[in-house]
Amino acid sequence: MRIEDLARLTIENLLAHRLRTLLTTLGITIGIAAVIAVVAIGQGGQAVLLADIERMGSSRAFNISVDVQRGEAPVTGTFTMTDVTIIKELSQAVDKLAPTTSGMFVSIRRSGERGKPVYCQLAGTTPDMTAVMNLPLASGRFFSEGDVAGRRRVAVLEGGLAQTLFPDGNALGKEVFIQDTPVTVIGVTEKQPSQIFGAMGMTKYAFVPITLAQEILNTRVIHELHGTAVSEAAVPQAIADSVKILQHRHPGSNVHYKGMSMKEAVALFGKVTGIMTLIIGSVAAIALVVGGVGVMNIMLVAVTERTREIGLLKALGARRADILRQFLAEAVALCLVGGFFGVLLGAGGAYAIAHFAHWPPLISVWTVLLAFGFSAVVGLFFGLYPASRAAALSPAEALRQY
Amino acid sequence: MIRVENLVKIYGHGEAAVKALDNVTLEIKGGEFVAVMGPSGSGKSTFLSVLGCLERPTAGKYYFGGREVTSLNEDELAALRNQQIGFVFQTFNLLPRFNVLRNVELPLIYAGIPQKKRRERATALLSRVGLGHRLDYKPANISGGEQQRVAIARALVNDPAVILADEPTGSLDSRRSHEIMALFRELNAEGRTIVMVTHDPEIAAYAQRILHFLDGAVVREEVAS
Repeated sequence: MRIEDLARLTIENLLAHRLRTLLTTLGITIGIAAVIAVVAIGQGGQAVLLADIERMGSSRAFNISVDVQRGEAPVTGTFTMTDVTIIKELSQAVDKLAPTTSGMFVSIRRSGERGKPVYCQLAGTTPDMTAVMNLPLASGRFFSEGDVAGRRRVAVLEGGLAQTLFPDGNALGKEVFIQDTPVTVIGVTEKQPSQIFGAMGMTKYAFVPITLAQEILNTRVIHELHGTAVSEAAVPQAIADSVKILQHRHPGSNVHYKGMSMKEAVALFGKVTGIMTLIIGSVAAIALVVGGVGVMNIMLVAVTERTREIGLLKALGARRADILRQFLAEAVALCLVGGFFGVLLGAGGAYAIAHFAHWPPLISVWTVLLAFGFSAVVGLFFGLYPASRAAALSPAEALRQY
Repeated sequence: MIRVENLVKIYGHGEAAVKALDNVTLEIKGGEFVAVMGPSGSGKSTFLSVLGCLERPTAGKYYFGGREVTSLNEDELAALRNQQIGFVFQTFNLLPRFNVLRNVELPLIYAGIPQKKRRERATALLSRVGLGHRLDYKPANISGGEQQRVAIARALVNDPAVILADEPTGSLDSRRSHEIMALFRELNAEGRTIVMVTHDPEIAAYAQRILHFLDGAVVREEVAS
């Protein structure tokens, strides 16, 4: 049997039952569309997230913390201001280094106004922080070393936070209460463009001198060190130097100092979101399996219905392989046609969602090829059993069927 | 052309076993026109099935044109059916979704013959059986007699040596039946061997030899004058 004849017979056979073919195809279409859309949306979201993280800080950035994976937490004396000074002096690789004492869900409100406090993330730090994070100022200035040393009651608000507190105008020079401490706003950063972190409220920062933060939060603990290396290549060295110096200066410490580069953090986020995409993609793939079972079901019906025809074709000289190929081709064709429309539908869905979510739809050629390949495999897998049943029919018995 | 020795066919196992063919030994020479008669359940259809290589005998030997058929594998049997045997059925067995021309082309498709050549041969044969003007019709839109002519054209399309017909007139009225038999005589005159199962003595009378089956065995043979 020639390949063009196989193709023609397949089309004719499928067109003989148009509604059935359409509905079976629809199952595969939905399955493939779900997989494509989920993967595209996942990859788009991942790209946005990673871009967000990258935009937030320098590529030379790193941080030093304790081993949180072992359940460790910094205590008073784990990091000291002197540590920072010494690391900066001793390490050739370290450029800037900012200690931070931070508090989540710290209330902040306008002075003279009762009620309506909002939550912010209080970041007590030093001016070096401006090298670590991208903090373009919309107005005013960042606080100085002098402000830190003098524990001055000044704050720099993130643009979004400033707008929430002062929707009607300029926050600069105004007084706000952080917890119950009156603080003067000396600078406002530009609004963080991050969508994802912004939506989670994680960008509502209030930066204050670390000394002031410790007073507000009533603690003397420094939580982390944020720094930059002299170059991107020097980041691992800067981390190693910092950890080594800290270990040396705190020989009795029962915590493990650990550093992580910005790049590692981005990679970690990428991995996490990649796993998320994979999990959701697997759930979507269930739809495809259901579609495949539909194909198998309809092919089994076709074999039963066409038993007599199979007997006749064998009497006319069709070999087992001819019958096997015929039914396999029909199953694969159903899946490929379904896959084609599934790609269109899935891509359309991904574009629509990406449009509303304002992120780039990422549909790679690979996703499309993979979806097509997968639908062909689904066809082969779910078509094999019905097809081999058809091929194994005895012609005499098949011809006796009505 | 066809020789069977001690042919046995048993359906089922144990208690439920039915002996459809019981030690049939006979020979059909090339160019013969043989009718097979007998009551239903006498094994005549099973005999035709075995001759057509549609099923294998339980025991015994079957020689087709000198070849021992029982030792052939499935693909060789398929090729034999395709090239050497033409089938004609009581219910015509045309595929309803294909037009007349394409129905006749089917055996040629499985022989791997390209479309242009298929078209020529199928058209020529359809003209020969008087249906040259019905090529594009679907089987449902032509009469029973015409459908059987299409089936005969299909049986002839690979120029087989043997035609096996199972009640070819069973679904036709008397006039059409005689027309079909006239066609069979013509084919026989060309030298084709024909084996035809029928229960109608009038139809069987067209054959040169009549085999009477009963309980799976040939109980009587008639030779037409």
